[in-house]
Amino acid sequence: MLEIRWHSRAGQGAVTGAKGLADVISTTGKHVQAFAFYGSAKRGAAMMAFNRVDDKVIMNHEKYMEPDFVFVIDPALVFTSDVTVNHKENTIYIITTHMSTEELVASQPKLAGKKVYTVDCIKIAQETIGRAIPNTPMLGAFMKISGMYDIEFFKESMKRILGKLPQKIIDANMLAIQRAFDEVK
Amino acid sequence: MANKGWDEFEIGAMLRTFNGKIDDIVGTHQENRAYSENSSFVASVADWRINKPVFNKDFCIDCQFCWVYCPDVSIISRDKKMIGVDMDHCKGCGVCVEVCPTNPKSLLMFPEKADEETELAAWPAKNEEKK
Amino acid sequence: MAFDKMELQKIEVWDGNRAAAQALRQSQVDVVAAYPITPSTPIVEGYAKFLADGYIEGEYVMVESEHAAMSGCVGAAAAGGRVATATSSQGFALMVEVLYQASGMRLPIVLNVANRALAAPLNVNGDHSDMYLGRDSGWIQLDAFCPQDVYDLNFIAFKVSEDHDVRLPCMVHQDGFMTSHTAQGVHTLTDDEAYGFIGEYKPMNDMLDFEHPVTHGVQTEEDWHFEHKARQHNDLMVKVIPKIQAAFDDFEKLSGRKYNMVESYDMSDADICVVCMGTSVETAREVATEMRAKGIKAGVVGIRVIRPIPFFEIAEALKGVKAIAALDRSSPNGAAGMLFNEIAGCLFNTDTKALLSGYVYGLGGRDLTKAHLVSLFTELQKNVDAGKVTTPLQQFIGVRGPKLSFL
Repeated sequence: MLEIRWHSRAGQGAVTGAKGLADVISTTGKHVQAFAFYGSAKRGAAMMAFNRVDDKVIMNHEKYMEPDFVFVIDPALVFTSDVTVNHKENTIYIITTHMSTEELVASQPKLAGKKVYTVDCIKIAQETIGRAIPNTPMLGAFMKISGMYDIEFFKESMKRILGKLPQKIIDANMLAIQRAFDEVK
Repeated sequence: MANKGWDEFEIGAMLRTFNGKIDDIVGTHQENRAYSENSSFVASVADWRINKPVFNKDFCIDCQFCWVYCPDVSIISRDKKMIGVDMDHCKGCGVCVEVCPTNPKSLLMFPEKADEETELAAWPAKNEEKK
Repeated sequence: MAFDKMELQKIEVWDGNRAAAQALRQSQVDVVAAYPITPSTPIVEGYAKFLADGYIEGEYVMVESEHAAMSGCVGAAAAGGRVATATSSQGFALMVEVLYQASGMRLPIVLNVANRALAAPLNVNGDHSDMYLGRDSGWIQLDAFCPQDVYDLNFIAFKVSEDHDVRLPCMVHQDGFMTSHTAQGVHTLTDDEAYGFIGEYKPMNDMLDFEHPVTHGVQTEEDWHFEHKARQHNDLMVKVIPKIQAAFDDFEKLSGRKYNMVESYDMSDADICVVCMGTSVETAREVATEMRAKGIKAGVVGIRVIRPIPFFEIAEALKGVKAIAALDRSSPNGAAGMLFNEIAGCLFNTDTKALLSGYVYGLGGRDLTKAHLVSLFTELQKNVDAGKVTTPLQQFIGVRGPKLSFL
């Protein structure tokens, strides 16, 4: 069982990202689950989304999760909420920030001694898609860190999922995924 | 309606108006329609009346007010001509008399036992003062 | 026909709402009258979008309240169309008056309920308060444990509800958010398979049959009311269960997926079991399997058909077990709990003398964790070992503050 927790703000696309990831993984024959805590359900409010991935049917519906991966797609949430809650010893963090990994860990002591990777998904999204929608770049970074799928296979799969969008937006997302894949440290 | 048992009627809070298939219902007069026992048309309220309306066609202007206002659709009108009152479904409320605009009125209430011929012969004259 | 078909993948990653909306599309529902409410909104929104995009030939009627939504459904169903809608919580509560009209008028309407808590305090998350509110309304109530169930049970619902021997409306329940907003793999049917399964809508006493005019929604007083209600209850008790079974059988032939009135998991040799509904059934199954690895013979009974209650099937499922926990996800507010009472009733005149205890859990979406279920099973095993219920008969799971227990 692979478990992922997303920290996001409502409107940044964490739910779409979690469902998109589940969709890609599902095509490879694995079983998936994607859900979210909506909290106050207002645009901009902190919220969490979750993924479960397993080789057998996922029957666990508890919301409690000790994640293998934590994705933080809004830079402020590292400071305003506890992104390490219910963590495991080997939980891996991929965090959106303009800082370097060392600067980030220094500014948030809770991350000290943990496996932290950083990538500026917000900047990448702004420069490629033109809006601060950091969900697809985060998935590019995840592909790099986890080595789950070949990046070209992943991008092809995402093209299908984004299928209804204008070609320009799809192309920009592909660029964003690739850049985050290349830039995550 | 018969007091059928729970298993003896069609399901749903539903009643059929007619027996069997009907067509051209709009072109068929009520008395020629195959109303079912569920339709109130087959029930009479004649015995509810204490007073009854008597129709005097000599003064009627076929304005249709009584036909419009009758709560029991008991005014019989054909081709916009007032013919009389359906005495099976008239309960004697007197609304038709209230709304009748002619002078003297073309409909008046009399005791149920009154003889129609006698009352028509003694119909009141035009009331000159009423204006 | 004047609508487009949709190519689906064999497995789509859908949440419960999407699964329901797709089922409504594939069923080619004629009329949806709706007043959307969280968490069921995407169901009717989905139908409206499919309609606007040309995938459905039907009508979406936006009304001014849930009372009007169900009233619109009653009108459309009486007129002779395939009808569905969706609601939750406060919306369901406002619909209740018309729910009784729909069932009493014997109109086949499918109502998807994304179960949600009832205010006050206001809460949009999932529990079974609205489901329990509807259980005397004369509807058939089916319960989904995951998005796949939501998809499949919608087809079962249309097939059973529209059967001329049944003609009773049907609710398909799913846990708000935990199913309605949780995406999982859903095995799909093609549009033709799905529509072929439920078939063309066959009208009965429809108001648009001008050659056989009918009056719907008549008044009866003391002289007739009891007979109508007795007839409805008779049909729920006698006719519905065999029709659901037949639909389950047909559906298994079509899809390979098998549904049962009562879903027993590892019950053949179980000493202890929990009885519950919704997503909790699946979580409990996972925990039961883990308990077996520790040598505790645990099983799970999920109630698939809530109304009509599968009385004998529940008794049969529980006959060999030594301790039972009834899990109610709705505040009984002064009673032992619906499932506790139903199970007690099912077993009272049988030879099964299992120890029965009740638990109230998960109100307002409060998480039921695997850890909760481990301690629950452990407590049940203690009851078996002691030969009696060692705890009060009613306890609360996962509530903060001093321990709450009653009876």
